[in-house]
Parts: sequence; structure tokens; C-alpha cells
Amino acid sequence: MVGRFIAKRVFLAIFQLFGITIAVFFGIRALPADPVARLVGINASPEAVQQARESLGLHETKLQQLFNYLGVWSTSGKPGIFQGDLGVSWVTNSRVWDECIRFLPVTLEFITYALIIAFIIAVPLGMSSATKPGGAADRFTFVWGLFAGSQPEFWWGLMFVFFFFFQLNQWDLPHAPAPLGRLTPLTTEPPPITGFILVDSLLRWDFKVLFEAAHHLMLPTFTLVFVVSGAITKMVRQNMVRVVQSDYILYARSAGLSRRKVALYALRASMAPAMTLTAIIYGFLLGGAVPVELIYSLGGIGQYSIRSILQFDYPAIQATVLVIAMVSLIIYLVIDILHAVIDPRITF
Amino acid sequence: MTAENPQTRHTPTPEDLDQHIQPHMVIEGIPTKRHTIDIVRKFKEEGLFRFGCLVIMTTMGLAIFGWLDHYDIYRLWPFDPNRATGNVSVEPPGFLEIPGLLWKTVILGHEPPHWFGTDNAGLDVFSRTLAAPRTDMTIAIVAAFLSMFIGTAFGLVAGFYRNALTEFLMRISDLLQAFPVFITAMILVALSGRNEFNIILALALVYTPIFIRLTRAEVMGQAVRGYVESARAVGNPQWRVAFGHVLPNSLVPSLVQISTTVGFAILLTSGLSFVGAGVRPPTPEWGLMIALGADHIILGEWWGSIFPGVAIALTVFGFAAVGHGLEEDYR
Repeated sequence: MVGRFIAKRVFLAIFQLFGITIAVFFGIRALPADPVARLVGINASPEAVQQARESLGLHETKLQQLFNYLGVWSTSGKPGIFQGDLGVSWVTNSRVWDECIRFLPVTLEFITYALIIAFIIAVPLGMSSATKPGGAADRFTFVWGLFAGSQPEFWWGLMFVFFFFFQLNQWDLPHAPAPLGRLTPLTTEPPPITGFILVDSLLRWDFKVLFEAAHHLMLPTFTLVFVVSGAITKMVRQNMVRVVQSDYILYARSAGLSRRKVALYALRASMAPAMTLTAIIYGFLLGGAVPVELIYSLGGIGQYSIRSILQFDYPAIQATVLVIAMVSLIIYLVIDILHAVIDPRITF
Repeated sequence: MTAENPQTRHTPTPEDLDQHIQPHMVIEGIPTKRHTIDIVRKFKEEGLFRFGCLVIMTTMGLAIFGWLDHYDIYRLWPFDPNRATGNVSVEPPGFLEIPGLLWKTVILGHEPPHWFGTDNAGLDVFSRTLAAPRTDMTIAIVAAFLSMFIGTAFGLVAGFYRNALTEFLMRISDLLQAFPVFITAMILVALSGRNEFNIILALALVYTPIFIRLTRAEVMGQAVRGYVESARAVGNPQWRVAFGHVLPNSLVPSLVQISTTVGFAILLTSGLSFVGAGVRPPTPEWGLMIALGADHIILGEWWGSIFPGVAIALTVFGFAAVGHGLEEDYR
């Protein structure tokens, strides 16, 4: 049963990705931008412009360009998406897929940590505010959920840099590192295994890099936790309130189960929507954490996408949108499967 | 005497029949009550809602003054937000100096100080922070209402006429929602030219699917109600049933959503400017001001980006508070 569900979802996801590919392809070509002029410069001769157009394959019709990109009935002789190649960057001339693979784990890493921490904070907070409505925890959760959800995360990131780096440094206290990347510029980054720098250094048993990376990831992660935790807490609380009033909790109570045990049952039932929300936020942050990446110059997929967008690097733009959509679809799928594990009421 | 006796029965009068129709008896198809949200009462009773309303009114007022300044009619703030003053990187006055400076400028009429300091180009941060709503609020409000209009129209059509074409429309809306919001907005703005008009279009496109979805769900619920059938029965053409009868009754969810959308649109506008895919400098815009101040915050020049950030935080929180209040009443 589960196998069939997954197969159906994967099939749908491939369809959706195909739609996104085509929409992005024609979408960016419909916008009034001139990538050739950007690449060859304003003073280039018409011959140079023509040559650049031909080398980029822009002299073909739009439909033929799409076929070249997809790799069916191709006239360029290069592999396309169907051959597993997302094309070559117009600016750096390296394969876009390789670049995405290099930059993606950076973003995935700090988003993942942030959401795990936010979830760990949100669950007990939401639980305690749901079990005592109107109490201090409840009021705090309410205001926090409304407040944190509407904050400019990039500004808070800057404030954290100002306080935890600059101001603590001024006072000669232990302070956060300068926001200049994942490691101190003097440390050479070890070759990646998984791309997750904390995991890599653990695998290598390299504690110096581990502590340094954790030190550097501290503030970006905290920035995201700060912004994101409110919404998840609110979600846990809402569902918990609904679950606590339901019949099976009343039954469990009247059967004489301990408060702890009842709370755990209620928690299990109220986890599912909170996890869905977490997954949605994950998908949102993949592209939405660009400003935070920029502040701490982490060099993730967000920074890569903004660079390629500002340089009119069409293959890279298409690839980043596609990769981000793909990762979020995978995460939604994983969450749906996890739901079935947690909540026995869900059947496929 | 006999009236109290349950055994005595008399023939029912029309008044008796009226009494039989109790408020709790729902008559299928007739909406029993209209959704009304008493804003004045909410304003009086709920502190959070009041705060939100005050913030919205303040920023709207500043936006209007911003446009007056833009057309050189009247300037509320001391300096031109677009022109460098010549005093570079001036620190804002300390707390204790403020009363004295106020006395000097307001009573004695001296040259006003830089209340929030100046950035490294010499632009007055105070004037720019107050003038910024003319960019931010205009973009956010126009974009939110544009997406509401488009989304409501499409949602109405998609919910009222259920056929292959509207099914296709919904699939396109689904596809739009699968796009990463921030990156899509960045692409749209950066590739079609960084100006206010294109930002409005990009935000409208990004937020339209939400309104399509909301309106469609509501229209599908309304379309089976009795009044729709009555409207048809008296001979209204389909389009007039849709736009004249169903539409006014299915606007509420969109109107409730709009406050939240404006808040998020402000966040997105400033975020785009912050990463360099929004308005061009030196337009007074909060995100852009934060970006201009960001390079210097590491060196301790905190004033360039702290004040616009506080402004964004307050404004968006205000919109979220109002949105939350409306949503609470609607449910």
C-alpha cells in the first residue's frame, strides 16, 4: 500500500517538476531582459553579439531552445535534462548541476538544524500552553507566534551580528565569529563527504573543525530559529487544544491513565499538522533564507541563485529553481510517510 | 387560566406559527446571519487590534506625507530623503541630549539635528525612515489589492463554472504555488528591471494563488445555497448570478486575508531590496536602508540599519495583529 502511494506521489512530483521546468524556461525568456548584452558588454560589436548568441544557442527558436535544454530532438549536440545534464553556466562555464550540488548542502545544513531546534523548542512550549490555557506560557506563545512570524529575519540577523560579534568584542567578552562564512577564512575547508560540515568533521573525527563550524553556524541558525519557532509553537498549541478536548483523551483520562501518558497520546496526535507546517517552512526557507545566507556569507544555494539571477545566467536560474522545487517535493513526501508512521488513522 | 393548562388546545394563529420558527432552526439554503465584523467595538476592546490599527494609520499617513514630499508640496521631516546632507556618518544624539535639542529646534528654531544620524553617504536616516512608507506601503498595498482582485475574479470563475478550462486554471495556480516565493520574486524583478512597477507585478503574481484558492473554496460553498437558486429562478443570467449574488457573499475570506498579505508584501519588498533585487538606491526604502547600513554595522555604525528595521518590524507586526483579529472574528 505504502509502496503504491509513494509511486503515485513520485509520478505526480515528476509531472510537477516537468511543468516547473517548462514554466521557468518560457517565463524567464518572456521577461524583457537581454542576457547577451549583459555578457558581452555594451560596447561589443554586432558580430561579437551574434557570435555570443550562437554559442549560447539563443539564435534558435524558443521551442528549439527548449528541446535543446530537455535533450530531445536536440540540435546543439549537448546532453539535456533527459540525459541528466542541467546545462553549463554562462558565466562560470562549469556544469550547473555540480555547482548546485556544492552549494545546496550548505543551505540544507543550517536550515535543518534551525528547524530541528525550533521543533524541539516548540513542542514543550506548545504543550504547556495548551494544557494551561490563559497561563503565562499560553500568553507568551500567543504574542510570540504573532510577533516572530512577522519579523524581517535579515534585520534580526544583522542585530545579532552587531551585538554578539561587534559589541561583545568591544567589551572583550567571548563573542561570535565574524560573519565571513562557514569557517574562519584562514582555515581551509576539508573536502566534503556529505557536504554537511558538522557531519563531515564528525566522520573525520576532526574536533577542531567541528567546533569552529559549530561556532560559525551558531548565529545563522539562531536567526532562523528566532523567526520560525513562533509559528510552529502556535501550530502545536492549536492542535493540542483541539486534541485535549476530544473524546479519546477523555476516555484515556477516565480509564485512569497517568497525566504523563495522556499528554503523550495527545502529543502524538497533534504532531502531524505541526510537522506539515515544519515541512512547508523548510520548503519556504530553501529559497527564502537568501538574506540570512547573505549576511553571514555562508555561500549556499540562495546566494548562488541571487548571483545567477543578477548576472542573467539562465541555465543556473533554471537549475536552482528546479533543484529547490525538487528538494521541497521530496521533503513533503517524506513528511507524508512520517505522518502514516505517527498517526495510525492515516491510511494510504 | 386556560392558557397555562397544557391540556387545553386552541387552533394555531399566525403569531403562534411565527413563534415556532426559532433562531436555532436552520432553514436549509437561507443564510441565517451575515458575517459582520464590528471594527469599532474591536478597536475599543482589544489592545492588540488597537495597536495594529494605530500602526497602520500611522504608516498610511506617513506614506501620504511621503508623496507630498515627493512632489515638493510639503515636507514633514527636516531633510530631503534623496539628497546627501554633507555630514557623513554622524552619530545620533544621546538620550540625554534629546530634550535640549528639541528645545533648540522647536522653540528657538535652530537647524534640526540628525535625530537618527546619517549614513556613510550623508543621507539623513530619520527623514528616510519616515519617507520610506511611500515606497514600501504603496508597493505592498497596490500589490496586495491587485492580487486580491485578480485572485477573486479567477477564484469566482473557477468555483462557479466547473469545467475543463477552470480545472486547467487551478492546475496552473497549483504550479505557481510550487515555486519558491522569494526566488520567483527575485527572478521576476531582476530580469524585468528593478523598479517599483515591476515589484508590484511580481508580488501580485506571487500572492494571487492564495486568493484564487480562498475565493474558490468559498464560492463552492455558496453556490449550493438556496439564494443562488432563487436568483437563477427569477431569471438572472449566469454571469449576473455569479458576479451580482455569489461574489458579494464570498468576499469575506479575501478581505480578511488582505491585511496579512500587505504585511508579508512589506517583508518581501524589503527583503528583495536587501539582497539587491529591489528598488534602486537612493530610493527611501526600509530594506534598502538596512542593506546600505549593513556593511558598516560590523564597524559599529549601528544607526544606519537599526531604525528602518524597527520600522519594518512594527509595521508588519501591526498588519499581522489586525489580520489576526479579523480572522478570529471571522471564524
